[in-house]
Amino acid sequence: MQGDEIALTSVLVVEDDPAMQARARRVLQEVAGDGIRIEAAGDIATAHERIGDTDFTLALVDVQLPDGNGIDFIAWLREHAPRVPAVVVSSWAAEDTLLAALRNGAIGYLLKNAEDVELAMHLRSLQRGGAPIDPVIARRLLQLMPQAAPVPAPAEEIHLSARETEILHMVARGLSNREIAEATTLSRLTIESHTRNIYRKLAVGSRTEAVFEAQTRGLLH
Amino acid sequence: MAALRGVVRWTWLVMLLALAACGGRAAPAQGAEVATLVQAEAVRGQWNDTAAPASGWVPVTLQDQWQTRWPGHDGVVLYRVRFEHDGTRPVGLLLHYLCMAGAVYVNGSLVARDPSLVEPLSRSWMQPQYYLLDAPLLKRGENELLVRVSGLTAYQPAFGKVSVGDPRRVEALYRDQKLVRFDLQMLDTAIGAVLAAVFGMFWLLRRQDTTYGWYALKGLFGMLYGLNWVARSPWPFASTDAWQAFIAACFIALNAIFPIFLLRFAERRWRRFERTVLGIGALVFVLALALPQWMGPYRNAYVAPAIAFGYLVTTVFVAWAWRHGRTDQRVLALCIAIGPLVSVYDTAIYLGWLRGSAYLGSFTSPATLLGMGFVLAYRFARTMKRVESFNLELTREVQAATSHLADTLNRQHALELAHSRAGERLQLVRDLHDGFGGTLVGAIARLEQAPADTPKTQVVDLLKDMRDDLRLVIDTTAQEQADLAGLIAPLRHRASRLLEAADIDARWQLHGLDGLQLEPARSLDLLRLLQEALTNAFKHSRAQRVDVRIAREGERLRLQVRDDGVGLAEAGSVARIDGGGAGFASMRLRAQRLGGELRVRAAMPGTELLLDMPLAA
Repeated sequence: MQGDEIALTSVLVVEDDPAMQARARRVLQEVAGDGIRIEAAGDIATAHERIGDTDFTLALVDVQLPDGNGIDFIAWLREHAPRVPAVVVSSWAAEDTLLAALRNGAIGYLLKNAEDVELAMHLRSLQRGGAPIDPVIARRLLQLMPQAAPVPAPAEEIHLSARETEILHMVARGLSNREIAEATTLSRLTIESHTRNIYRKLAVGSRTEAVFEAQTRGLLH
Repeated sequence: MAALRGVVRWTWLVMLLALAACGGRAAPAQGAEVATLVQAEAVRGQWNDTAAPASGWVPVTLQDQWQTRWPGHDGVVLYRVRFEHDGTRPVGLLLHYLCMAGAVYVNGSLVARDPSLVEPLSRSWMQPQYYLLDAPLLKRGENELLVRVSGLTAYQPAFGKVSVGDPRRVEALYRDQKLVRFDLQMLDTAIGAVLAAVFGMFWLLRRQDTTYGWYALKGLFGMLYGLNWVARSPWPFASTDAWQAFIAACFIALNAIFPIFLLRFAERRWRRFERTVLGIGALVFVLALALPQWMGPYRNAYVAPAIAFGYLVTTVFVAWAWRHGRTDQRVLALCIAIGPLVSVYDTAIYLGWLRGSAYLGSFTSPATLLGMGFVLAYRFARTMKRVESFNLELTREVQAATSHLADTLNRQHALELAHSRAGERLQLVRDLHDGFGGTLVGAIARLEQAPADTPKTQVVDLLKDMRDDLRLVIDTTAQEQADLAGLIAPLRHRASRLLEAADIDARWQLHGLDGLQLEPARSLDLLRLLQEALTNAFKHSRAQRVDVRIAREGERLRLQVRDDGVGLAEAGSVARIDGGGAGFASMRLRAQRLGGELRVRAAMPGTELLLDMPLAA
């Protein structure tokens, strides 16, 4: 049940705001120590070049970039560098944007308005192979699941296991991982890796399909 | 039309009789081998005579009508005709006309006899009679034909010419005459009956269209009248008088209904006139049934005016249709005018004004009937077309109205949508102003009053407070449809993570919040209060554990936040009171706005914060 652990040794930060770049460096170093290698790219074009140069173990990708949409870049990554996991870094989180990112293969998301300590917790969770999720997104995922009553469009459905669904319900009610762990007698890490699996299931087969799907649903512009 | 058909028949009959009186011209087919005999001898007899009287014979010329010679003689007249025969070949014998019933003898042998030679008399007048004769009935040399005719003076008792000769030619002559006098009449009566039945059914299924009803009624009487040319006995009447009175009454009824039918066809209604003619028709009918002995013999007294009336009606309708009528009315006028016109033509031929020998009367009658049928059917089809086009128009109008309605509804919907969007925007602006705006103004005031060397962390804290507040505003605004449980979830999640990061054990208990909807502004105030309470505990209490309990109790909501950190009363809590002073003040303000009461009390250890508020504003 454990997700893939991510060694924070070489991270690409795709972010155009220098202050946020600095913040990302600071938090990453706090979590992974001074040995971490951090490359920053201010736009997607630069990011493409950097990907060719180095084997990154993680990419932190801002959504709004000067030359395009970070979600497109994540989809590109999934096709051209599938071994580089991507995490969205967004300012105020619009649920639709986050969902589109997850559907295009992002394995998690960081919110810029969180405290540094929260960002650090999130990164540590990724290190261990987990992927945190927040109640608003959990609620949206539950809405996408097939209902007992008349089913929405099949393409929108995701099929989760009973355990995953149970966890999502608890997250949607605002329960913390510790509370969920107590309620399910699972470890916190197991719970986080469940959510990571949920993200994986969310990402559909191919990149083209995903982008097409996102566009038809108005998630991309 | 049947009335006119009757008129034609009467005219035709009159002409036939005149023709016969004139002699000669009526047998154009006769050649050397066919002799038409017009010289005969006649003698009166009694109803029950069985043998020819020996004396009293007078010479007559055929065709002979005896009522002028022997007025008032109702009974039997015997006619004797002699003809030569070489005795080698069979001959055909044609009796052109015999009215009313008769028996035929050749050389003393009976050849044919009608079923009833006394009243009620058989009716043999409608068709000629043909016999094939051969030896030994025929003798070489002179042969004698004896015809015993039973008749009534009131009904033109007569015996017509006799043709003798080559059987094939005589039979051809017979067939020609039978066709004109009997077969066509039969056809005519049948067509009239069928048309009357068809349009009668139209009327039965569509009572409001009385034109068809009057036509059917007219057709019914036309058919009854036509029986005069078809029936071979007066049955079901007991006498010839009764039969003749009935037939004449049918003719009158026909002539009474005919103008009403025409009026309906012209879409007119002359109530007094119609009542009058119908009254006369009904009166004649009743009289005919009640007094046949009068109404039969004296029928000419009322039939002749009826014929004149029929001509008048026809003329008036034709003139009207010519000037004012529609196409179908003109076609009808043409149909009913054909009868009188043909009778004029036939008369002209008869009088030798026109060359030719073909009389058209009997041939045009069925054609005229069919024309009438066509007109009525055309009228029906036109009505149907009008209904169909009306339906089409109706459909179009309904469609137009529907799409107009849809447009209106769409516009209205769009307008409502725009209104609700504007309303939502306004609500958002208000939330931002009331919520975040206040925090911002407060922050500015605090920073303005703060000493110039205020530590950076304090400014950052202030900004973070504002960020948290903005986050609450966004959470409540974005999830306006969510219940209180849904609204609290993001705050709970975030607070739990922060407390967890600070190694503070957070315990939450929520009761009865599912499906609970508060006004957006009240939700926001409640969340802010909760956030401030949690921030207080997080920042200042140095607690190990925080218990949060939110429960719905009837129409009230209770919020309890308790920590096990340093209490308010403890000496070390100066910072807490200092730092939390502003926080407590704003919490009280929010509690007030929520219509509830906020209590802060020392727990052992720690602090407990209690809010009791009503659900409704």
